[in-house]
Amino acid sequence: MNTTTARRRNPRIRSLAAVAALGLLISACSVSDPEAPSSEGSEGGEDATFSIAVGIDPDTFDPAGQTTTTVSNMVDYVVETLVRINDEGEIEGVLAESFETSDDGLTITLGLREGVQFQDGTPFDAEAVVFNLERITDPDLTVPQGAAFAAFQSVTAVDDSTVEITLSQPSPGFVSALSATVAGMISPASVEAEGNTYQEYSHPIGTGPYVFGEYTAGESVTVTKYADYWGEEPYYQTVVFRVVPEAATRESLLLAGQVDMIILPPVSDIESLQGNDDVEVLLAESDRTIYIALDNNDPLLSNPQVRQALNYAVDKQTIIDSVLFGAAEELDAPMAPSLFGYCETGTYDYDPDRARQMLADAGAEGASLDLLTPSGRYVQDAQASEAIAGYLREVGLEVNVTTSDFPSFLARVTAPSSEQTVDMHLLGWAPAYLDADFQMQMFREATHPPAGLGTAFYTNPQVEELLAQADVETDRDTREQLYCDASQVIWDDAPWIFLWTQSFPIVHSAEVTGIGSTPVEKFDAIYARPAS
Amino acid sequence: MKGTAAHIVRTLLLSLITLFGVSVLIFLMLRVLPGDPARVLAGLNASEDQVARIRADLGLDDSLFSQYGSFLTGLLQGDLGQSARTSQPVTQEIGVRLPATLMLAVVATIIGTIAGVTAGVVAAVRRNSLVDHVISSVAMMGVSMPVYWLGLLLILLFAVTLGWLPAAGSGDPLSIVLPAVTLAAFSTALISRMTRASMLEVLGQDYVRTAEAKGAPPRTVIIRHALRNAFIPILTVISLQFGALLGGAVLTETVFGWPGIGRLLVDSIGARDFAVVQGIVLVYAAAFILLNVIVDVLYVVIDPRIRY
Repeated sequence: MNTTTARRRNPRIRSLAAVAALGLLISACSVSDPEAPSSEGSEGGEDATFSIAVGIDPDTFDPAGQTTTTVSNMVDYVVETLVRINDEGEIEGVLAESFETSDDGLTITLGLREGVQFQDGTPFDAEAVVFNLERITDPDLTVPQGAAFAAFQSVTAVDDSTVEITLSQPSPGFVSALSATVAGMISPASVEAEGNTYQEYSHPIGTGPYVFGEYTAGESVTVTKYADYWGEEPYYQTVVFRVVPEAATRESLLLAGQVDMIILPPVSDIESLQGNDDVEVLLAESDRTIYIALDNNDPLLSNPQVRQALNYAVDKQTIIDSVLFGAAEELDAPMAPSLFGYCETGTYDYDPDRARQMLADAGAEGASLDLLTPSGRYVQDAQASEAIAGYLREVGLEVNVTTSDFPSFLARVTAPSSEQTVDMHLLGWAPAYLDADFQMQMFREATHPPAGLGTAFYTNPQVEELLAQADVETDRDTREQLYCDASQVIWDDAPWIFLWTQSFPIVHSAEVTGIGSTPVEKFDAIYARPAS
Repeated sequence: MKGTAAHIVRTLLLSLITLFGVSVLIFLMLRVLPGDPARVLAGLNASEDQVARIRADLGLDDSLFSQYGSFLTGLLQGDLGQSARTSQPVTQEIGVRLPATLMLAVVATIIGTIAGVTAGVVAAVRRNSLVDHVISSVAMMGVSMPVYWLGLLLILLFAVTLGWLPAAGSGDPLSIVLPAVTLAAFSTALISRMTRASMLEVLGQDYVRTAEAKGAPPRTVIIRHALRNAFIPILTVISLQFGALLGGAVLTETVFGWPGIGRLLVDSIGARDFAVVQGIVLVYAAAFILLNVIVDVLYVVIDPRIRY
């Protein structure tokens, strides 16, 4: 037939030529910015670039508008805070050299570092601090993490390098809260420059070691060294944060040498990365506790014996090893060890027989429970939930696991008690500053949904009493003890299935060094430098 | 041609109704979704006061009717509102991202068209030969392979192992190669299947035999006589694929960290950033309508017998 005839004629379709033409065409179509993607090679710090791949596209560079640690981490290169929390969990001066709280806890006096200038030349002085503190407590400005400053009443400049903050009630966590990026010091003049406004501040100007350069939406953020920085000079002239949402791609970028450092590689690859001599893996400590919040108002789960049984039923360490690939530490208190106020309260060692017995004693054997879990929000969250459900089924419970995207998940778990549709859910909580005060919000009646995120609906008069004392206790040691006592009660009450604090994995090229982390899920790479 | 012009005007007028429908639909769908945008925006650590403030700022306390009213009023003035997440105007957010997506879709479509049509023609001309079987099998793989997986494999080979190409981003001129090839895999396969089927039908026609009989060289027969006549269904597939690439590049954009509009859409849905989602969906709808009009015109160019 005709087709076979045609076939025999064997035309020369020049597919190779077509492919070659295509190659030319592709190389002709470049996306505008030919800026080299990466790094290294260059000698010395003069024009050296350090690139970091992160997963989140920044929403705002306004310190006051921060909601994610990744974006705060970028802002930290440009904007500094008055104080920081060091490795020992103690408060340390940055832009404030001294900070003293009066005996009644109502006045905080800050002595400022002198001779510091903002990157636009504005002097950093008492006036600038007043401006910034008034800004982040201004009711007309949206400050998502502003709750920590609720006790703020006023601030005055005593002299050029001294400010006095007045509080409406003692607030022992206030100075710690000043370490959060939200309380970063921006140049008062900058809110009217560079396209910024007081309300919409997108081009930050601070006192930090790097100057904000350029943001390309969905692509990258560039910062360059600030020549007149008051502190130690960093090595790299330019730092590029590249936005790469896919974990496996970030890993590939690092392995291909196209970036110097990444955060959050695929957890399943951590082991192989640890065995790779070209890179170094830091499983950084984080303050994020992961837990199963039990609905303490549920007829069944209101019985503490049942809640304790659930804690005994789950083999946390095995899940950490096999589902989270070791990227977590089992909890031994209702908060992460990095918080001020932490003390070890105990463990619920895996004991299925005991769990079965306790459930039987409580008349809860064979009960049916729903478990709601987010997916992709926390390290191996949905997978861990499945494993937990498996353990609960082994002690005779019926468990239904459902997953949900995060906004829908939040809507369900923050419904008022009367409208609750789930018995338990997996959640992660990471205090924005390292103080038990922030963690304990989860165990107070005042934060029961819809008012807050105390989604276990847990309350105990003894805990409320201890926490109320801690709220206004100005003696550090006494306050620490109060949190420890409250922790003990909470641990025994078992409002959650206590799981783990997840690690914050950072991987960097073995050719660089000087990279660390802070336990608020941030990397500390400002002083990164070549290893040799 | 006069009929064609009238047809286009009519299509464009009708499209206004379509766009209106789309705007109502997407507006309502977003409001039905569970999840409070203010809570998502504020973050877990925010106090309830802050959440309430943001809710009020976003106008979410107003009635649905008045929310839609202000959306439509803005829309008629070319104002798509403001992103809740970044506070930037939605038109600007889309404007920054759209070129990257367009570029990717255009390059992928060109790759898909050249490779797909070539493969399809070869397969049709050499029907049932080994070449045909190989092309069919590869095409089957191209249709079935998840974009996500293919993308990662290509990254591993060309960026990590060989070190030839950037693994992600769009800063380097070569950055577009891997995402475009990945994105083109599916359309290449589809276009080659369609080309093969369409060519086989045409190659059996009398005029092809006549062309051969009069001694026209095989290349002329295949390209001028057969392919041109087989091209209408192929063009339809190409245009549909182009449309799908505009909207469906989400996974590719995510895997390759490509700063396109698909990723913006997914991020915005995840953040319940209503204004941005509405804006992007409307832009998609408008792009599809425009694409259809262009294809209608191309039909006439390719087959002058077509009249509207």
